[in-house]
Amino acid sequence: MDNYQASRMREASRGRGLIPPCQVACPLHMEIGEYVDLVAQGKVLEALQVIRDGNPFPSICAYVCTHPCEDACRRSQVDKPIAIRALKRFAVEFGGDRMIQLEAETTQSEKVAVVGSGPAGLACAYYLRKLGYPVTIFEAYSELGGMLRVGIPQYRLPREVVDTEVQRLIHMGVEIKANTRVISLDLLFDMSYKAVFITVGAHQSLRMGIEGEESPGVIDGATFLREVNLGLKPSLGERVAVVGGGNVAMDAARAAVRLGTSKVSILYRRSRAEMPAGPDEIEQALEEGVETMFLVAPTKMKRENGRLSVTCVRMELGEPDAGGRRRPVPIKDSEFNREFDTLITAIGQAPQISEDFRLRLGRGSTIQVDPVTLITNRTGVFAGGDAVTGPATVTQALASGRQAAFRIDDYLRHRYPLADKEAEETLSGELLPETIEMIRKIERLEPPLLSPEARAKEFKSVELIYNWEAAVAEARRCLRCGMGAEILFQDKCATCLTCLRICPYHVPYLDERGTIQIPADQCQACGICVTECPARAIVLRKPYDRRHIDEELEHALKSAAASKSKPLIIGFCCQYGLFGTGALASLWREGKAGIWIVPVLCVANLEEGHVLRAFEMGAEGVFIAGCGEQCSRENTAFWVLQRVERIRRALSQIGLEPERLQTFNLHATEGDTAEALDNFTERIGGLCLASVIRQEVKS
Amino acid sequence: MAEQKPLEEIRRIIAPYERVLLLGCGTCMTVCGAGGEREVSFLNSALRVAQAKSSDGIHSFSEYTVKRQCDFEFLDMLVDKVNEVDAILSLGCGIGVQVVAERFPDMPVLPGVNTSFMGMAKEWGVWDERCAACGDCRLAETAGICPITRCTKGILNGPCAGTKNGKCEANKDMDCAWILIYKRLERLQQLDKMRRYYPPRNFRVIPRPRRIVMKADVEPGEDNG
Repeated sequence: MDNYQASRMREASRGRGLIPPCQVACPLHMEIGEYVDLVAQGKVLEALQVIRDGNPFPSICAYVCTHPCEDACRRSQVDKPIAIRALKRFAVEFGGDRMIQLEAETTQSEKVAVVGSGPAGLACAYYLRKLGYPVTIFEAYSELGGMLRVGIPQYRLPREVVDTEVQRLIHMGVEIKANTRVISLDLLFDMSYKAVFITVGAHQSLRMGIEGEESPGVIDGATFLREVNLGLKPSLGERVAVVGGGNVAMDAARAAVRLGTSKVSILYRRSRAEMPAGPDEIEQALEEGVETMFLVAPTKMKRENGRLSVTCVRMELGEPDAGGRRRPVPIKDSEFNREFDTLITAIGQAPQISEDFRLRLGRGSTIQVDPVTLITNRTGVFAGGDAVTGPATVTQALASGRQAAFRIDDYLRHRYPLADKEAEETLSGELLPETIEMIRKIERLEPPLLSPEARAKEFKSVELIYNWEAAVAEARRCLRCGMGAEILFQDKCATCLTCLRICPYHVPYLDERGTIQIPADQCQACGICVTECPARAIVLRKPYDRRHIDEELEHALKSAAASKSKPLIIGFCCQYGLFGTGALASLWREGKAGIWIVPVLCVANLEEGHVLRAFEMGAEGVFIAGCGEQCSRENTAFWVLQRVERIRRALSQIGLEPERLQTFNLHATEGDTAEALDNFTERIGGLCLASVIRQEVKS
Repeated sequence: MAEQKPLEEIRRIIAPYERVLLLGCGTCMTVCGAGGEREVSFLNSALRVAQAKSSDGIHSFSEYTVKRQCDFEFLDMLVDKVNEVDAILSLGCGIGVQVVAERFPDMPVLPGVNTSFMGMAKEWGVWDERCAACGDCRLAETAGICPITRCTKGILNGPCAGTKNGKCEANKDMDCAWILIYKRLERLQQLDKMRRYYPPRNFRVIPRPRRIVMKADVEPGEDNG
């Protein structure tokens, strides 16, 4: 229940936030905005916790997710999307995901069988265990993981990652039966399993249907990758052709490179723009020396003199088909011959479902299921993953496995299946050009890659991990969609137009009825209007950022009162960047005499009241430290200084020296913050002494 | 438009009272940034710092902001709060202070702002005077620009000899109102209005305090036919 409570708390902290497009696009609907924000604060452990709450196997997704979230990311309207997958990888590695041990108690008596140990099967087993069911996974191969193990090459997903997740499942009490092909579902029910989840994947390569396809030297992509991934080294010869343009074709071509083939050519019947493979995959394949032949399709093959003679025809693109891609049309009399040693076909895969299962099959021999309950035509039999959808992504499979676990739970508990999540309001809409113009452009940081030379030799993971600074900087690019300001108290609003006049992004506007509107799809959640609103009518949809300051301040004041070190100095420091990456954190750890740091989620959210409260509670000096040019916004310094001036005015009217309030690092990273801070501390010490002397003289 | 009184002054006038209610106003004083909820809260914080840093006087402050202080009905909801304090520091305009005082006859009511003028926001954080509420509006003759408030001398037949390059001799950053009037009349092709003499105004037509009566004096039951 801990997780449940944690997610409830997060829900509360998210307040009235709208679901951002990245979360909508994620098949698992992970709270991406949340964990990206935590990475931006350098809080990897918390980020990992959020990730683990939404994803059974984050380490796997961190490597292979096709990140539909990044495609939906609204930052791409400004410059480039946030590197969400790479940030997840960072959180998984730096947060110590592999150290996490999970336990699960058996609280239910009904046994559930999972047939197939691909991502969908593993995810289903994971969630069923968490729900307390005894679970057995049946796997035909010797090792678990399905496509994770036999489909995806090691350089994209190291085997240790899959091993760790499988071990974790075993530790959670999932029973594993490897080398066990299920031939009859009746048998499973006879073995007293009350529900069965079929997730056998789509391992059967489609045939091209051309002459000579049976010739020696022609191998299908799925079989080839399976052999490679199971440690065999198929001999390919010097020249290899791969037919197809999807991820399997890329994987096969890149695996062939790593097996020492001198020349690998990809034959694809459309052009690069239509290739279904991920753009990164294509790019990396080209870097590794894979040759591409676009608008080419083989028409027949013949084995001659120990070589494969392939007749190809050139294509041109015709009318778009139902899927919107332009249909390739052969060009008359454009046949030509090429010789290869091996030809790998990778034009698609389909599930292979035993007839003995007596399941109703649909298009492309996939299992037909109810889309909500995932139940098949047989009672108690559920199906998911590629076996239902045809070849899809790992994340889709995980989502399908999770859905299956909850629907199986509903079925076994005789509950009407509930929708996965209450319908929450989502954020939609494009950014307006005026808004985009005002958003600071910050370059996307890609995680480093192994050099093409180094990676072509072996099956080591190609992508490396961000370092701390890069991850924090990349995460800070997030636009925080859906977390923006709203006028919560319309009756308080005096329509003074302050928000409209000061918004750095020109977002608020007056509607024709004379009411101020702050469109959620444009607001950048900087919080400046919230602090400046003279009627206090505006709140952020994510109120946590402000509450956080109150809590941290009271905590610091309490600790300071207990420690009694003098003079007491309170520092409000940006928790992004500076504090997160450690420049001030070192000072904080050394516990410099009397300095107490209050971490602030952007100093633009700091109110005069916070600073005055510190003085009220005995602070002799207060400083505000920003994150310098790391700030993702342009106006933070201006607004902080506006407030600083007001406070200084009040201080001098009270008879306190205005220089007791100081700012650091607001506009740009200053030379040596530590030194500046030392000087400040010294000065405050001096002021303290002077006021003590004044008191003495008075009395 | 108004601005908050200096803290020293506020501290001096509240000195005799232990429990003080800081009362904001949610309309004009909010718009001009002098006495809305945010300002009430700022003042509360600042007064507490002042108290913590000096040893004189122990006050306890409470804060509240009503929609408008200038109508009794908005003040009715304050009765319970008022019973628990020794004085009210009103951040309403001069009208607000007086209405609060009238509503709570036994309670000392103190002004927290200096009500200054009627005007407009030039931009965020800058306000300019525009109207003197003279009760005898001449804007039709002066192209919508008021010489009473915007001319330093408030003369009705300008410009005077002190205008230079369109600015006023009293303040070279300030536009001469009469030059503005001239230019706008020229633009409207009504320069003939400049060529007329406007006699001095008769201030006796404006007896104070002024009262406006909109409702007709009718007796219930009286036949209007």
